Amino acid sequence: MHMPRFDVYVPQDLNDALSFLDERGEEAIPLAGGTDLLTLIRAGVVKPKILLDLWPLRKNLSYIRREGGYVRIGALTTVDEVLANYLFRDSRYLGFIDAARGLGPTFLRSIATIGGNVATGHPLSDMAILLLALKAEVKFVSRHGERRVSIDEIYLDKRKIDRRPNELIAEVAFREKPMSSSTAVLKIDRRRGHSMGYVVSASYMALEGDVITDVGIAFDSLGKPYPGRAYRTEEFLIGRRFSEDTIAESSKVLELEMTRLSDYRAPAEYRLSLSKTLLKKCLLLVSQRIKEELMHG
Amino acid sequence: MTTYEYYRIVEEVFEKYMGRPTVFVGKKITKWDEVAKVTGKALFTADFLKLYKDVVWVHSVRTKYSHALIKNIDVSEAVNVPGVIRVLTARDIPGVNDVGYVIPDQPLLAERKVRYIGDIVALIVSKDPYSASEAAEKVFVDYEPLPVYIDPEEIVDLMTIEEKAHSLIHDERGSDVVAHVKIRVGDFSKALREASVVVENKYRTPMQEHAYIEPEAALAVPEPDGGITVIASTQCPFDARRAIARVLGLTQNKVRVIAPFIGGGFGGKEDVVNEVGAKAALATYYTGRPAIALHTREESFIGHSKRHPMTAWYRHAAKKTGEIVLVEANILLDTGAYASLGPFVAWRATVHSVGPYKVPNARIDTLAVYTNTVYSGAFRGFGNPQVHFAVERQMDILAEELSMDPVELRLKNILRAGDRTIHGQLLSVGHGVGLEDCVRRVIELSNWYEKRRLYSNQNEPVKRGIGIALMWHGNSIGVEGADYSSVSIIINRDGTITFRTGLTEMGQGSLWGLVLIAAEILGVPPSYFRVEIPDTSSAPDSGPTVASRSTVMGGNATVVAAYKLKKRLSELAGSFLNCDPSDVVIEAPKVYCREDPSKEVMWREVVEEALWLGVPLQEYGFYRATRAEWHEETGTGAPYITYTFGAVVSEVAVDTETGQVWVERAYTAYDIGRVINPIGAEFHAVGGYVQGMGYALMEEVVHSKEGCVYNNNLSTYYIPTIRDAPQIAVAFIESGYRQGPLGAKGLGEPSIVAVAPSIANAVSHATGVQFTEIPLTPHRVFIELEKRKRRL
Amino acid sequence: MAEYRDYVVKLTVNGVTYIVSVKPYERLIDVLRYKLGLTSVKEGCGRGECGACVVILNGKVVPSCLTLAIRTNGAEVQTLEGLAPEGKLHAVQKALIEVHGIQCGFCIPGFAIAIKHLVDNNSNPTDEEIKEALDGYLCRCGSYSMLIEAARLTAKYVSEGRRYFDLRECLGE
Repeated sequence: MHMPRFDVYVPQDLNDALSFLDERGEEAIPLAGGTDLLTLIRAGVVKPKILLDLWPLRKNLSYIRREGGYVRIGALTTVDEVLANYLFRDSRYLGFIDAARGLGPTFLRSIATIGGNVATGHPLSDMAILLLALKAEVKFVSRHGERRVSIDEIYLDKRKIDRRPNELIAEVAFREKPMSSSTAVLKIDRRRGHSMGYVVSASYMALEGDVITDVGIAFDSLGKPYPGRAYRTEEFLIGRRFSEDTIAESSKVLELEMTRLSDYRAPAEYRLSLSKTLLKKCLLLVSQRIKEELMHG
Repeated sequence: MTTYEYYRIVEEVFEKYMGRPTVFVGKKITKWDEVAKVTGKALFTADFLKLYKDVVWVHSVRTKYSHALIKNIDVSEAVNVPGVIRVLTARDIPGVNDVGYVIPDQPLLAERKVRYIGDIVALIVSKDPYSASEAAEKVFVDYEPLPVYIDPEEIVDLMTIEEKAHSLIHDERGSDVVAHVKIRVGDFSKALREASVVVENKYRTPMQEHAYIEPEAALAVPEPDGGITVIASTQCPFDARRAIARVLGLTQNKVRVIAPFIGGGFGGKEDVVNEVGAKAALATYYTGRPAIALHTREESFIGHSKRHPMTAWYRHAAKKTGEIVLVEANILLDTGAYASLGPFVAWRATVHSVGPYKVPNARIDTLAVYTNTVYSGAFRGFGNPQVHFAVERQMDILAEELSMDPVELRLKNILRAGDRTIHGQLLSVGHGVGLEDCVRRVIELSNWYEKRRLYSNQNEPVKRGIGIALMWHGNSIGVEGADYSSVSIIINRDGTITFRTGLTEMGQGSLWGLVLIAAEILGVPPSYFRVEIPDTSSAPDSGPTVASRSTVMGGNATVVAAYKLKKRLSELAGSFLNCDPSDVVIEAPKVYCREDPSKEVMWREVVEEALWLGVPLQEYGFYRATRAEWHEETGTGAPYITYTFGAVVSEVAVDTETGQVWVERAYTAYDIGRVINPIGAEFHAVGGYVQGMGYALMEEVVHSKEGCVYNNNLSTYYIPTIRDAPQIAVAFIESGYRQGPLGAKGLGEPSIVAVAPSIANAVSHATGVQFTEIPLTPHRVFIELEKRKRRL
Repeated sequence: MAEYRDYVVKLTVNGVTYIVSVKPYERLIDVLRYKLGLTSVKEGCGRGECGACVVILNGKVVPSCLTLAIRTNGAEVQTLEGLAPEGKLHAVQKALIEVHGIQCGFCIPGFAIAIKHLVDNNSNPTDEEIKEALDGYLCRCGSYSMLIEAARLTAKYVSEGRRYFDLRECLGE
């Protein structure tokens, strides 16, 4: 009913935090909202020597900005702040509403952060999957400068991302999408209420007329134990006319690049079928959102 | 058999109130616990911690293997961890090292071997919770691992019901079959030859977790005379007292168990409290300080009983006209590492194994079998939801074979007043056999025939279906034990009333029902009553709060106590109002003569007068159910005092692309004899449905082949949320049970029994696939639909 | 055994300011339940999976089991105990009694806080908004339909300007 004992370093500001990591980064774990990390500590899966409390950095790292053709989200922006932001009422970014709602109950959205969702490296991280579909980049900062990496390059293994011990995730950013585009995130599980999802699927698509000019397809897993993009499916879709047939064919391409695993929750064959179904449903939802925007402006 | 006065009183009161309007019974009156709970003042067990100082924490060191011999336990490093006061192992138990419920097969602390992943090898007693769990990592145990069995079919062959050769889990017992319960009625081979339709299938139901939101907790407090008081989240304070006294080697009067508000029970807070209470008490015994044992959510998952998983083979045979001529079944119940209530669960499952139907011939064999999974025991329904899933699916499949509507087939076979059960028990009119009324009610509420037709031809990817299931459920404990209950009613000098019983309030309002009964009979409004928290030192032994028995058994005890008080006080009031006692009307705050209402006196004056004249103002009500009868070789007799009957209709939507199932609407009708507390009755009908829906669609504790639990928390073990609960229409039939309090029967468990099969029947109706296994998770549904597509 | 330093945290709970000494690993729920005696805050899972321990922290609903106490310095916290002035009940409490939505009661503090917070921010929620706000709060007794009704009724009372009630009114006396 309690936590195991651990120490916490509470930094004054970002510089202080980065100095601390420079010194003790190897043994410290940054703590954002804590919705995932604290449960791992409680279960004894993670035994931290010391945590770095990121909450004091929220004054700098909690923001949502449009700037220089990019949408920039501070790593410590909470999920409910995303939901409340007018930017995500923009029909292009409705996927953020899907991801935020699906991510957890209201009482978790109030503390869970965007950066945390990326940093966990867990397959079932809805925000990160959407950011993959949007081809976002992750900004790491350290005392020695910053590093921007495409989000699809940060995943190394289950719960392991390419963050150097002296770095923090400061921001995620993605290029503003064209007007005739939209996003969607869908997942399916055994109940309607809040759940993890057997499969989490995110899609971004831009249309010119009915031609697909840009597309991003991401899933909780394509075979590796972390989220990833379906590049071959994207390649297949790009430049084609959007139609039921195209979608049906794209799901066959998806099958070629996706391997699913069985676990106690569901067998691989089901997860694969479901991924194909969700790809279809997601793309249809995206196209519907584009159409609605065109009709109603 | 002796005929006690209380039987006469209960029947007399039944006749008096039959068909008459009531003042309090059957009315929605705010329950006694609502204000305390809504203001946050209600104290649950762990909340008492704030009232005590110098409390020590008890941490359970659990095994790393689910089946192994213990070679050595080394606690020498653990005792040296700063903060640790003592480390206790089996050798430190002063009394008997056993917390088993039905049979003594479950050590509190493992000594010779471990049998499942929740077994405890040592207890750390520490001054704070942190050092307690840190010291747990310093307890070193040498294990000799043994083969792990997680499937009962590895222990027993389902078709021959013979035990297989294996490494015995309970070698001390010489067999891993805990119980074998049978029914042998009629000539089943002849019946089979005469039948025109035979349907046989294998069914599986999952291990279900209670998932009450309050995890197990007990707080022990030392008493000056060497006794120990234990505050515990328990349904059975008297059983817990007996078990704790036995472990500590104390007499029962030295152990006092107090049961404060309980954050959900559903059967899960029966025998586990023997363990949790004993752990806290043992720490107090050795430290002389208050001690708290709190389970984490993860411990709760692996450390208390579950609903028995069932594997069953069923064969039904019927005539062309639809009359059932035979039911045969082999039923395996996986009781896990310990018997818990398994033998009783096996018995209840067997008693109800043919469903609420007239069946002339039957052969049933039910085996409860040990495995290395978390042990199974009591859970709302107690074996009955499992067999009803199988039987009610069989009925639908039979209906399809016969090209009959499922309702019509059932109406041809259901039990009605004057019929005999499979055991030969006569269901006289006095039992109140309103099953047919229940069926007619739900088909009317749900518009059954219209929807059944409408949903039969659909081409959309989301298909709708409607299904029905019927149920019966024996009230109270039957032959499982001494079936008594009691209450005490104490009228205080200011006219208020103290109400005590050892039955516990799990929140559905059964104790409030008892107050309504007492208020009705006495003529004193419920607002005069204060319900006291069950306490073994002040309440009479009322038996356990299980088996849907509070309203019937506690209610009858209440009827007896209230009747006697009413009689005495009416005589007293009559004597100074100058009217016949039978003419005295108590309507607190007034008491008057019916013939001449001007002859009036205040209730408080009657109470004061009673003290002066020496008329006792307190009464102890006791009731023992009529003796149950069970012939082991044939499965005949009269196993339960009576049965609750009901019917449930569910409407579902099935997304054939994903396999997801949603319940859109549900309709329930139960014959509970008489509705005592309508708030509570609705809670059961609705809450039982939601829990049954979880059982049907999403809930399943899954073990790895090593015997570990994969889903040991509430984000991986799914229970229904607010988005899942459907609209539920609730109806009650009140046929009246002569030997129940004002005619009432129990509803606690019956409310879950028919839910899962009604949903599964609806899913089968929607998809045309005959499902034989729950939960109907999306992947199970989807895979079966794909198989069917390939066949077509 | 490592020594862990004490942090001094000043927080206002239900309008009363407290100064407490906490360890880095202590959670807000530990402070509220065991240091301040506010036992309406219930621990059902300790993992943010049930909603029984939520409190309103600086205007947001948070799980107190996943909130480190050191993060609450200077914070305003509200628990079920502080929803209404002494002797009164808040509209959500009145509504829960009126619809008879309380079974075992262990989840009720979480639901009450969630409904109160919802209605504070949206005095006329749709059923969908109610479900969205209450999704993930677990009630194993299955009172969900009554809890939705209680949320509707709370909104009605609050939008009528009836925020607090005398206890007697709630009992229908």
